[in-house]
Amino acid sequence: MNQSNTFWRVALLALPLSVFALIIIWPLLSSFYYGFTNWNGFSDNYDFVGFENFGKLFSDRLFMSAAINTIIWMAIAVVLPTVLGLSLALLIDSHVPGGPIFKTIFYLPICLSAVVVGQVWVWIYQPDWGLLNTIIEYVTNDRFNYAWLAKPDSALYSVIVAWSWQATGLSMVIYLAGLTAIPGDLLEVCELEGATTWQRIRHVILPLLTPATVVVVALSVINSLKGFDILYIMTGGGPFNSSDTLAMHMYNESFKKYLMGYGSAISVVLFLVALTIIRLYFKQLKKVDEIYG
Amino acid sequence: MNKRRRQLLLAAVLAPVMATASMVPSFAADEVTISHYFTGELGQKGLKEILDGFKAKSGITVKDSPIGHEDFKTGILVRAAGNALPDVFSYWAGARTQFVIDAGDLRPIDGMWDKAGLDNVVAKSVADGATKYDGKRYLVPFGYHYSGLFFNKAVMEKAGITEAPKTWEEFLAACEKLKANGVTPIALGSKNRWPAQFWFDYLILRTAGPDYRAKLMNGTASYADPEVKKAMDLWKSMVDKGYFVENANADSWTDASDKVARGDAAMTLMGTWITGYWNSIGLKPGEDYDFYPFPEVTAGVPNAVVGPVDGLVISANAKNPEGAEQLLEYLVSDPEAQAKWANIQGALSANVNVAKSNYNAVMLKALDTIDAAQTFAFNYDLSTPPPVAEVGLSMFARFMDDPSNVDTILDETQASAASAFAE
Amino acid sequence: MADTATLGSTSGDYVAPKRFNPWPVVIFICLFTLAILFLAPTFGVLLSSVKTTRDIALGDLWAIPSSMYWGNYVEVLSNPAVHGYMLNTFLVAAPATAFSIALGVLAGYVFAKLPFKGSDLVFLLVVSGMFFPPQVILIPLFRLFNLMGLIDTLWPMIIVHTALGIPICTLLMRNFFATVPNPLREAAILEGASEWQVLTKIALPISLPAIAVLATLQFTWIWNDFLWPLIFTQSDEKRTIMLGLVFMKGQYSVAWGIQGAMSLIASLPTLIVFLFFQRYFIKGMTMGAVKG
Repeated sequence: MNQSNTFWRVALLALPLSVFALIIIWPLLSSFYYGFTNWNGFSDNYDFVGFENFGKLFSDRLFMSAAINTIIWMAIAVVLPTVLGLSLALLIDSHVPGGPIFKTIFYLPICLSAVVVGQVWVWIYQPDWGLLNTIIEYVTNDRFNYAWLAKPDSALYSVIVAWSWQATGLSMVIYLAGLTAIPGDLLEVCELEGATTWQRIRHVILPLLTPATVVVVALSVINSLKGFDILYIMTGGGPFNSSDTLAMHMYNESFKKYLMGYGSAISVVLFLVALTIIRLYFKQLKKVDEIYG
Repeated sequence: MNKRRRQLLLAAVLAPVMATASMVPSFAADEVTISHYFTGELGQKGLKEILDGFKAKSGITVKDSPIGHEDFKTGILVRAAGNALPDVFSYWAGARTQFVIDAGDLRPIDGMWDKAGLDNVVAKSVADGATKYDGKRYLVPFGYHYSGLFFNKAVMEKAGITEAPKTWEEFLAACEKLKANGVTPIALGSKNRWPAQFWFDYLILRTAGPDYRAKLMNGTASYADPEVKKAMDLWKSMVDKGYFVENANADSWTDASDKVARGDAAMTLMGTWITGYWNSIGLKPGEDYDFYPFPEVTAGVPNAVVGPVDGLVISANAKNPEGAEQLLEYLVSDPEAQAKWANIQGALSANVNVAKSNYNAVMLKALDTIDAAQTFAFNYDLSTPPPVAEVGLSMFARFMDDPSNVDTILDETQASAASAFAE
Repeated sequence: MADTATLGSTSGDYVAPKRFNPWPVVIFICLFTLAILFLAPTFGVLLSSVKTTRDIALGDLWAIPSSMYWGNYVEVLSNPAVHGYMLNTFLVAAPATAFSIALGVLAGYVFAKLPFKGSDLVFLLVVSGMFFPPQVILIPLFRLFNLMGLIDTLWPMIIVHTALGIPICTLLMRNFFATVPNPLREAAILEGASEWQVLTKIALPISLPAIAVLATLQFTWIWNDFLWPLIFTQSDEKRTIMLGLVFMKGQYSVAWGIQGAMSLIASLPTLIVFLFFQRYFIKGMTMGAVKG
């Protein structure tokens, strides 16, 4: 039996792991290799420079701010769509009329391409005639022309809001699925025992939704990496690099400044940071397994 | 879940696998591959017609691969890194082309140039500066642009400005008049940074002169020099007086052009491609809009004009170099192809044989302005190496956001530029 | 399946004594307001698609148009290149979705049901594959496919999207399979079933909901991807819809109206896929999440 298990392990893992190794791992390693060179991308020649690129990271002001922005982005990207998605799911799940229509409306944004989503949000944030400032002017009855995307204080957050708009539907759908799974009689018992709505959510529904949360968080993180596109279109990391994330910084150094070696060094760091995050995530996953496994 | 549904679901997931059978790569013998950044409906269609003309003449099929302007930079870099550059590709004359030549990726075209007698075809204004690198020819100009102060004619006339401001004082007086008339004098859309560079280009060219600028561009002069400081202070004084639109960093160059077209602002310093954009939304050249050349600032400084040159180059390991040379020769020397292309792109043709009747009044004036100038300079991001250009472009955007700390900005720019030059 | 959770105190089997209950109204108004907010950007795209580029440039994008301009849609739909783009995108997205799920099923099953020494580490490595920006592997992959002579075909996109989908598919499938009770598998094996039969006859049917979720996500993500087609295709005949959308914009020209129309048309397939699969995955998590 044990031997046949080994056979099945090999047989089942062979294809996925070899595809993964060839298309992901090998290119990653070869890209990391360039992190130790001064390659410019165009030339056939380059020199091996040891850890020089990594040393440079510490004196690179733009790298530091990009790292901080990445942490901000990740944190909000995990929290905002999760909380919003959960709230929407809870509201829709309360048998409100038009539920399926609401569900589709909130899911709709993810179907649109980043190119157009980015552009339409640029139009929303446009200072003179953008939708947002027009509404603010209407409400306050006063001239308002703050340039959301052009000010270093607000550019990053403005993009994150646009991104969250697109990502919320995904979280909502997963949570709705999770909610459907909670037995109705369990909730009735709560109600008969006099639990308030809030108590029910806090002590019964939320714990039972933990597996869904695990999925939502993972998807949010992956999705936030896809946020590169929308950031690229809305600010391109600007104004003057204030909304750069590590991915954007790596892209700029590699493909705009043609410092392929340095860009690769940034991606090594990015990957190490990601691994750390995954370790933490896995600990969480293990806990869930223990409860439900 | 019932069984039928389950089958339906599995079928939906698996069926498409079957649909992928008919995808095989194709190879063709007598063809030239070309990749370029001339996208958009008009650009793609126009180029296709021109390439068809080439096929009729030479029998060579051109395999055409357009990539949008910004993405082109990534696309061509990846192909260079993979040693799979197309035979011919479009590229920006100047420091960018120099960069690719230094990497050993381009093929000199002196033989073709001499044989085809291109000395008599390519306009003197752009010939040597754009095509010659390290003493050899590498590039043919496919079209080029000039940047000037494009304005809304009605708005200018209403403010009583009918003459081109010749000197800096006249220019400032005009701005003042416009302001008094309730119009913002200058629109600038520096969201993508590059539109701001023309201001820096002209201010430094008109105060310190083309020779100093060339030194700044190749790293032998410093951004901390008094020359740069002087140009930036001029720029700052204009922003301080409220001559520029608010929130320049929020607008793209088309937003800024729209502001001028609507009459919210009077003028914008932009390349001749703005004529293509304005014509496409129904404005009439010479009637609705026109341009003034950038005024003189310091008397006695040689007159220079600024603009980009769209070039075509042949890659060092082109599979069909002979065909590629024929294509380049055709694209630059065929007057009809050149005229058609200039028209589509709102560009100027570098071919001196293109009849003047092909241009509208505004473009003719641009040609005359270029002819009258002593120097044709490439705009900032094409004059200085790409890593430095990134630093400088960010500087302009930062300056437009808050000009008050111009000194700090210049010091930091010099530090970053110095390390970028060292790469 | 039993009827489901209720947030307010109406509905379900339990009926409160007759008294006006304000909750459903409040919730409806809440959702309605949020829905309007959520629709605003989409509405912006819609507006841009029924205006000419001139109107957008000179007038005001957000104004309700006095007359609709359908020219953008006509132009997009009558352009034969667009049909080709759509077909190509489908030919990439559909198989890549199927392949990545299939590979995720295989790997996820092993990690869930046949763990071995160090399998946690391998799983960690696989999952880490979803945490880096794809630009990192652009150049090595271009070299690889160039070497194989596959540039300017659809294959590199299918292969790369399959591989990029492995981490998320493996993760989700592993979590789902983990909820399949072990005794069930052991009993089947004792009765002489092979591991393959356990996977296809027992584990897979239970996890169809997870597959539906993955199919929707993967299809949507691949459909909307722009980077890989940019790198791997060269001729117009091999382009995908997202490239077509981006390249509508010229070097010095804009085509907001056409882009708006084209993007709405381009989003239809992903919306259809969602509507098709969603009934499965709503049923879905049911089994995966709580039972087990």
